[in-house]
Amino acid sequence: MNSLYALAPLSIIVLASIIILLLEVFLKKENKNYLGYISVFFLTACFIFCFMSWGKDYSYFNGSLLLDNFALFFFMILTIGTLLIILMSLNYISLMDANHGEFFALLLLALSGMFIMISSTDFLVIFLGLEVLSISSYALAGLKKKDEQSSEASVKYFLLGSFASAFLVFGLAFLFGAFKTTDILGIIDGFNKPTELGLLAIFGLGMVIISFAFKIAFVPFHMWTPDVYQGSPTPVTAFFSVGPKAVGFVVLIRILYPYWHSLFDSNVLFTILWIVSALTMIFGNLIALRQTNVKRILAYSSIAHAGYILVGILAMDNASCVFYLTVYLFMNIGAFTAITAMTKKGKEYVELEDYAGAGFNHPWIGAAFAVFLFSLAGFPPLGGFLAKFYVFAAAVKEGLISLVVIGILASLVSVYYYLRIVVFMYMHRSAGKLDIQQENPALLIVLFLCLYGVLQLGIFPGNILVFIRDAVGSLPF
Amino acid sequence: MALCQKYNLPYKMQEFLFFILAIICVGAVLAMILTKNPAYSALWLVLAFLGIAGIFGLLDAPFIAAIQIIIYAGAIMVLFIFVIMMIDVRKGLSPEKKKWTLFLSGFLGLVLLFELITAATGVFSQLKTVGTENIGSPAGLGRLLFTDFLYPFEITSVLIIAALVGAIVLAKKKENE
Repeated sequence: MNSLYALAPLSIIVLASIIILLLEVFLKKENKNYLGYISVFFLTACFIFCFMSWGKDYSYFNGSLLLDNFALFFFMILTIGTLLIILMSLNYISLMDANHGEFFALLLLALSGMFIMISSTDFLVIFLGLEVLSISSYALAGLKKKDEQSSEASVKYFLLGSFASAFLVFGLAFLFGAFKTTDILGIIDGFNKPTELGLLAIFGLGMVIISFAFKIAFVPFHMWTPDVYQGSPTPVTAFFSVGPKAVGFVVLIRILYPYWHSLFDSNVLFTILWIVSALTMIFGNLIALRQTNVKRILAYSSIAHAGYILVGILAMDNASCVFYLTVYLFMNIGAFTAITAMTKKGKEYVELEDYAGAGFNHPWIGAAFAVFLFSLAGFPPLGGFLAKFYVFAAAVKEGLISLVVIGILASLVSVYYYLRIVVFMYMHRSAGKLDIQQENPALLIVLFLCLYGVLQLGIFPGNILVFIRDAVGSLPF
Repeated sequence: MALCQKYNLPYKMQEFLFFILAIICVGAVLAMILTKNPAYSALWLVLAFLGIAGIFGLLDAPFIAAIQIIIYAGAIMVLFIFVIMMIDVRKGLSPEKKKWTLFLSGFLGLVLLFELITAATGVFSQLKTVGTENIGSPAGLGRLLFTDFLYPFEITSVLIIAALVGAIVLAKKKENE
């Protein structure tokens, strides 16, 4: 339905970021938390709007902005994710000497970039959305003042992110040269008709996929991930590990899903992605074994999880991918919330030794962190188990047995490094140097909400699955 | 030849202008390569860009000509000059490195020449007059920007806000220390 309503979620978020930037100037330093509450208000409004427009298929600008259910579902979970990240960072920002207004405004702008990417099938628009997302992310990564690692993360992310954008534009130029369109559906149509420009188009498609592989951090393109995740402020790391990844997968699903069904021989692409998926699962988990920094462990674990989700894409089961991304959002944000809690003025505790005895000194945070780690490792009855189960079951149904075997072995390996953190928290004598000032109510609310999400998705996934099937059903193929 | 018809100029006039601009371009690029001082090279490059902008103007593409001056001769050259100012280019390369760069640049130059020849031989036969379709007119471009490409155009404004805020956030750091 052609309607101006289609613009509403995007405008709400952009408006919120501008209002926050304006208020930043007038609010006193001790009242800066209000900026967080204002952004939470706008995010809630956006969420409610998305929920109300479910199934209405609003579109605008000749269809280059399209709110199908698939887009709306991701709008909603990313809105929830951003909301959780804003709540968890209320206290953290002042501990790290950063500015509230800048942080929230950039986070909301990044969210608007993701909205733009999710809700379009035109690659020109997707590219611009990617730029909005990336440019805000570069600034977010360098937000910690007087911290070399944070600046390093920012520069590294900027350089490699620019490479990824360049790859995307390069690939787009080839696709446009071959098919005279930048619309995904037009490109798929072009692939279905054999032309002499097929090689040119395949090359372009490869370039586009490489650029998204950078953003999602598949294995040959993952080098930036650990450094950026380690250096960025912890809530921003949580955002990076969830947001750009989800968006990258949305675009991959939009390109690849029709492609698998097309008449064009897709064996080469399939094989390459098969290898990438296997490598991502193996390397992500193996390298994580040797890390002692908790943020780096979670960085490698996020690489490995990208590999599991790619298995779902190869199995052509979008519902399981979407479910995985939803569960992953809750458990990863939850885990990073626990790390955010381990902070005092000007100091973050991120080494494994710092966590010795944390489970007894800070029972709530420790217990929640343990649950999230169990979920990431894939223990039943938590969400992480079901997510892996659906993805691997779909792959078995499609006959990708060897890939599933690799995946299961890799996730067995992953149990070691997840449990290592738990062992440090509960079985090592406390060294007594962990004095954190972070037990504030907002943070505990986030922990509670993530716990609820992980348990709900693990024990009663039915309601969400209905939503997800509805969302996936709205894809045009 | 479109320009001549449009403004009722003698045909020879356009040819004359073209040759002058072409000589300026080639001469400026040669001077850019041959000068030792990188800052002068950058200035010669600006002159070459201006010449190219003039050629676009002759082809009746005023918008592309303007863009050529604003983006290349303006923004990109400022970046070049910043880099030249920030790094110490006076020192130059060590002799053994120089030999390598000479060899490598010679090789890459040959590859480029070969590529250009193969590309050009295929294209020359299909060359047609350009500039008759109003490709680079500001009016046509503006119409497209505000109809078919309105959404990307509006997104660009969000992009610019993000870039501005991000740049200020990162640059402000130093004042606080």
